Amino acid sequence: MSIEVSGVNKRYGDFVALEDINLTIPTGQLTALLGPSGGGKTTLLRVIAGLETPDSGSVVIEGKDATSLPVQKRNVGFVFQHYAAFKHLSVAKNVAFGLEIRKRPRAEIAAKVEELLELVHLSQFANRLPSQLSGGQRQRMALARALAIEPSVLLLDEPFGALDAKVRKELRDWLRRLHDEVHVTTVFVTHDQEEALEVADEIVVVNQGGIEQIGTPEQLYDEPANDFVMSFLGDVTTLGGALIRPHDVEVTPSPISEHSLEGTVSRVLRIGFEVRLTVLTDDGEVVTAELTRTHARALQLEEGVNVFVTPSPGAYTMPAPSPAA
Amino acid sequence: MLWFSLLVLIPLVAVIITASSGGWSAFAHQLGNEQTASAIWLTIRAAIVVTLINVVVGTVIAWVLVRDKFWGKGLLEVIIDIPFALPTIVAGLVLLSLYGTSSPLGLHWANTSMSVYLALAFVTLPFVVRMVQPVLEELDADVEEAAASLGASRFTTFRRIILPSLAPAIAAGAALSFARGMGEYGSLVLLSGNLPFKSEVASVRILSAIENDNPEGAAAIAAMLLVVSLLVIVVLDLVQRRMVRRG
Amino acid sequence: MAETRRAPRTPLTYVLRLVVIAYLGLLVAWPVVLVAWNAFHVPDVGFTTEAFAGIFGDPQMMHAIQLTCMAAVVATLINLVFGVSISLLLVRTEFPGKRVLSALIDLPLSVSPIVVGLALVLVYGGRDGWFGPTLESAGIQVIFATPGIIMATAFVSLPLVIREVIPVLEEIGTEQEQAAASLGASSWQTFWRITLPGIKWAVIYGVVLTLARSLGEFGAVKVVSGNVLGQTRTATLAVEEKYLNFDQQGAYAVAFLLASVSVICILVVFVLRARGARVR
Repeated sequence: MSIEVSGVNKRYGDFVALEDINLTIPTGQLTALLGPSGGGKTTLLRVIAGLETPDSGSVVIEGKDATSLPVQKRNVGFVFQHYAAFKHLSVAKNVAFGLEIRKRPRAEIAAKVEELLELVHLSQFANRLPSQLSGGQRQRMALARALAIEPSVLLLDEPFGALDAKVRKELRDWLRRLHDEVHVTTVFVTHDQEEALEVADEIVVVNQGGIEQIGTPEQLYDEPANDFVMSFLGDVTTLGGALIRPHDVEVTPSPISEHSLEGTVSRVLRIGFEVRLTVLTDDGEVVTAELTRTHARALQLEEGVNVFVTPSPGAYTMPAPSPAA
Repeated sequence: MLWFSLLVLIPLVAVIITASSGGWSAFAHQLGNEQTASAIWLTIRAAIVVTLINVVVGTVIAWVLVRDKFWGKGLLEVIIDIPFALPTIVAGLVLLSLYGTSSPLGLHWANTSMSVYLALAFVTLPFVVRMVQPVLEELDADVEEAAASLGASRFTTFRRIILPSLAPAIAAGAALSFARGMGEYGSLVLLSGNLPFKSEVASVRILSAIENDNPEGAAAIAAMLLVVSLLVIVVLDLVQRRMVRRG
Repeated sequence: MAETRRAPRTPLTYVLRLVVIAYLGLLVAWPVVLVAWNAFHVPDVGFTTEAFAGIFGDPQMMHAIQLTCMAAVVATLINLVFGVSISLLLVRTEFPGKRVLSALIDLPLSVSPIVVGLALVLVYGGRDGWFGPTLESAGIQVIFATPGIIMATAFVSLPLVIREVIPVLEEIGTEQEQAAASLGASSWQTFWRITLPGIKWAVIYGVVLTLARSLGEFGAVKVVSGNVLGQTRTATLAVEEKYLNFDQQGAYAVAFLLASVSVICILVVFVLRARGARVR
């Protein structure tokens, strides 16, 4: 077990950032800490790195108690959201920094830097300054810099948060492939559920200073532990007083089971290949349903049409929280 | 911290303590001396007038430096800083060359109270300009364009949009310029002639009190100047906090 | 500055431009040029560098210049070390009384130099200062000696480095420092390799401004120095003395030297800033 966090608490004044966190992160995996902003995931990552000291609890990295070790001694690679590039140093010097601190022989440093720049596809930019790189390139440099010290764990704080959508997606795929090559235990923080679902082996959902659920992307999506996890990982709607995913709502011209509810289509929204319907049931419930375009066309759906909505067979549902809660 | 205390805090506290050593009446007596009172009054008057001039002219200079563009603007940038970097005694000599007895302009201001205003205007020139300029540079042209698109005339835009954004910087510059004016000494030595009741300022009175072995008298005037400085610092602190909060 | 859109030119633009040029010309540019002129031009004689020969030939004058330079350099070094460390303290740490300290740092900017001198005399004066007699009996004379001149100089130029460095420290933030720590750098290594290069330009501006201010300090130095010929007389004090002794030519010459140094300092900062703006 690569990282073990037990009983960690952290407060800032009255604000509880982390409350009794217990977490085990296995060696060699790519783990995502997922949750809304201000939920404590970045604090947790920084506690693991040693950039924050927990008020209580312990952090064990590769079997060694690291709780009282300063960040310098933990041998963790940390990648910051805004890259934290050393602006006055060239790309190669940035990557070499940790090795120079460790007083490695010059030839070894040069070889290692070359190898890493190759890995992150920045070889031709070795002598540039960070200001001459794009955001995505800077983040790859920061990653190479963190990998240079051969960290026992690699920690990434919203690594793609500051990049635009397209670059983000490219880097996400690239990170997955890189991880499959290097196999260093990696933890990254994100608030983007799509990013977590696509990249991570395992996802830890963090909210309001606590852990909501730990599991593989499939487990989390298909069997969310509670309504928070269900609504955070993907869209949800209510149908007959239960939470359900919109694509699990079947829309038919006539009832297909005793659970079918009658209603009127109040809005039709086309988004690319899919169609999103808003149906107002006779009980006054607002149900969202997602269909493919072909299916919607076959049903001749338009505003004002009467339809029946039914949970599709095998759909995962859970009781909706009462509005008071 | 220790160095700061030894160099700045303890000596300044010593001024206050020496000034108050004789009690309130002795303090008032020192300041009540006719010649001293006249010097202090002149200093305050000159510092206020010069600060007002700087508020107007300094803002205009900053405006021209940021928004206008013409050949030789870089030179003006350098000229603005000269009064700050020039040794004050040299500043006095410099002004004497144009406004003294051999003035090519025929302005014989040396040894008159005009010379005090002149010297203070010279040494306090950079303060408002250098406080306002960066704020003006940061000010988004978008905001002005938005105001214009909403129908505001250029004058209204200036009065209702630009001026309020500049106000804290102008206030900070004015405070610094006032403080500097109140305490000025070097540039006046040669220029003003230090004539009692005519062109003698507070700092000169302190120095003559020191030279006449009257530390209490010197400390009394110094304490008064120090209070002015402290007030200025408080104003600066408040203004800076306000600027930070606005982002 | 390049991307600032400029307002369309109206007659007002030209009026303002003219007002500014006239004001600065009459108040600063013309008088400064006249001093340079007077330093080289003697009525009825014409141009001469005699006055400068007089300065460099006068051992007491040379001593005054040396003293000025020495005091300025020492005061600048002190303010460099003190300024950078206090800036780090103010920006990177939290402690009670921080706000008061940061406000007090600006105090030397608004205190009269004469008050500075008086304050130092009251504490370190050899006869009846607070610490003066004690230091004197330990063989250290502060007032009417070089240490006093250095202290007065350091006092008046104290905030200059700090005021340059603090905004830059705030702007660069702590991420780079944290990154360096996560790569194993000790706080000392982080300071030398990451923080200092980041604030390099601010420190240089601060030092140049401090140097300019230190070389030219007059009022505070006048009070604490005693103006002893050949011992504690600085260059600025010499200007006053020469002028009052009707050696106008000599006064203008020394003034020209001092003014040149300060103008050079401004130009250095101006060029560096323009360069810095381009690099960024």
